[in-house]
This record gives sequence, structure tokens and C-alpha cells, in this order.
Amino acid sequence: MSGSAFEVLQVLVVEDNQHMRSLLRSLLNSIGIREIHEAANGAAALEILREKSCDLVLSDLAMKPMDGIDFTRDVRQSPRSANPFVPVIMVTGHTERHKVEAARDAGVTEFIAKPVTAQSLFARIAEILERPRAFVRCDSYFGPDRRRKAQDDYAGPWRRHGDHHDHQVP
Amino acid sequence: MTKGQLIPPDDYPQMVSKSDAAKMARALRSPETAARAAKVIQQQSQKLQSAVHDYVRELENAAGNLSLVFEKAHELRGFAETAGLRATGRIASGLCRYFDEMEKLGTVPDKAVVALHVSAIGRAARAKDEAGRMSDAVVKELAALVAHKLAEAAP
Repeated sequence: MSGSAFEVLQVLVVEDNQHMRSLLRSLLNSIGIREIHEAANGAAALEILREKSCDLVLSDLAMKPMDGIDFTRDVRQSPRSANPFVPVIMVTGHTERHKVEAARDAGVTEFIAKPVTAQSLFARIAEILERPRAFVRCDSYFGPDRRRKAQDDYAGPWRRHGDHHDHQVP
Repeated sequence: MTKGQLIPPDDYPQMVSKSDAAKMARALRSPETAARAAKVIQQQSQKLQSAVHDYVRELENAAGNLSLVFEKAHELRGFAETAGLRATGRIASGLCRYFDEMEKLGTVPDKAVVALHVSAIGRAARAKDEAGRMSDAVVKELAALVAHKLAEAAP
């Protein structure tokens, strides 16, 4: 396939390590993506998202002054967010359970554990393209459905009253 | 209890049409794409290795400052392997794990264990045969040391 389908995409790379930014840019270029914006932290990335219509975000987790978790939460929940549905892939070496859960609860779409490989990056992008996730909106959360395995024939027991009728959540 | 709303993918804007998405996903999994990406990484490896060496120097200069050591080790864990310095990345990853686990235990890392890792990272990164059998042995020995120290520190 020619790169034409990828040429229409705009991607934002949020990463404080300039070498990683450069590597991610080159990998995205290799599949035909031309419009790549870069930011060194979450606050700078939010500025870019207000001006550019990005289709995909790759974000590091640990950055200053704003990390990838606060950035993602702002993208999902801020009334000023230009696209609260934009897919966010978190590219991080912080794979401790509590950090992964915090990022998931902020609304991250996919994870890639560093060291990054082209295979892992492209597999996550393919996953987002082929199987976009439903979003959930409730008082305490807005973001991709955190239940990764839908079971259509699941008969319970239900964790929340009314789940089996109309997706009621606490 | 508040009623939540489930928004299916068809009800919010997607990156591309479904037919384009399927074609693009196939392209992303193709051997041609993998070969192009491998070439990109190969072309950047010299530059990346030079960056790894800069981080190694910063790591060595950070001796005694545990939070700075953790920060630099974390950077090395992140891209040393991508730069082709597999042993360097694995030792840095072991050091990060040691810091993480000790933090969980609420215990200060043993400076001697940290210093051994820093020294091994420096030696591995500068070794001509970085990913050779000697490096593998060092990675294993350090992992065993970390496991032993974590067992000692556990309540």
C-alpha cells in the first residue's frame, strides 16, 4: 500500500527525550506520516492540540512540568479540549502497576513499554485503526472503555446494579 | 448512582474510514513496513548510541544522588536497547526495578548495589562486544544480586 492513507494523518509526539522524539518521528515517517508535531511535556502538547487537529497522540509518562497522565486527563476532561476522543498511546518505561492503572484511569487508549520497537508501535496503531474502543462517560471518568474483553454472552454476576440493562455505572 | 453513557466508535469521529483503516492496519503488519522501520533504526543507531553514551556519563557523574541516578537509568532503560546496546539497557532496567521495589518496601536502596550497576552500565556501554556472553553473565549476576537484596529487605 502506498503511504497516501497515512499522509492525511497528523500525529503529536509528546516526549522529553529529544532522541526518543526523533526516533518516533522517523518511525512514523517510514509509514508515510508527514505531519508530526512535537512537544517536550504535557503543557506544551496541550497548546499544540488547541491549534492543530491531531489524529493520534504518542505520549511519554514522566515529564515536567506536566506529565503524560495529567496531559491525558486534560485532553479527555477539559471543556477546552479540542478532541477528547483522540487516541493516546502512552510510550513509557514506567511499567509499575500503579502507574499503568493511573494512566488507564486518566483515559489512555494503549500502552507501549520502552524500549520501543517498530513492531510494538505499529501493532498499537493498527489496533486503534481496526478496533476503535467505545468511550465511557460518567461522573468520575471519561475515556476509552476500560473493559478490554467484551463478552457478549456474559450472564453475570454483575458488579453494578443495572449493568446488564443499560450500562449503569456508579 | 449515576447512569453512565457508552459511546460506540460509530458515534464519534474516527481517524480514517473503516475501509482505509483495514488497509492501513494490513500495511502496518506487512514485512515491507517492518523492513523499512528496521532500516530507519539502523540509520539512527549511531546517533542513538552516542546519546546513550552521553547518558552513561551523566549517570556516572550522578553517583551518590540516588534520584538523579534513577532518572538517568530510566532514560537508558528507555532506549539503550533500541540503540542496539542490549546489555546496557537490561542492566539499566534491572537497576530501575531495584529502585521501584525498594520504594515499594519503603527502604532506601543500598548504595553499593547501585554503584555496581552504574559501573556495569558504563563497562557494558563501552565494551566492543556489548551483547556478548560476558555481558549476559553480568546481567544475570546483577539480577541475582537484586533478587537477594530484595529478599533481605522484605519484611
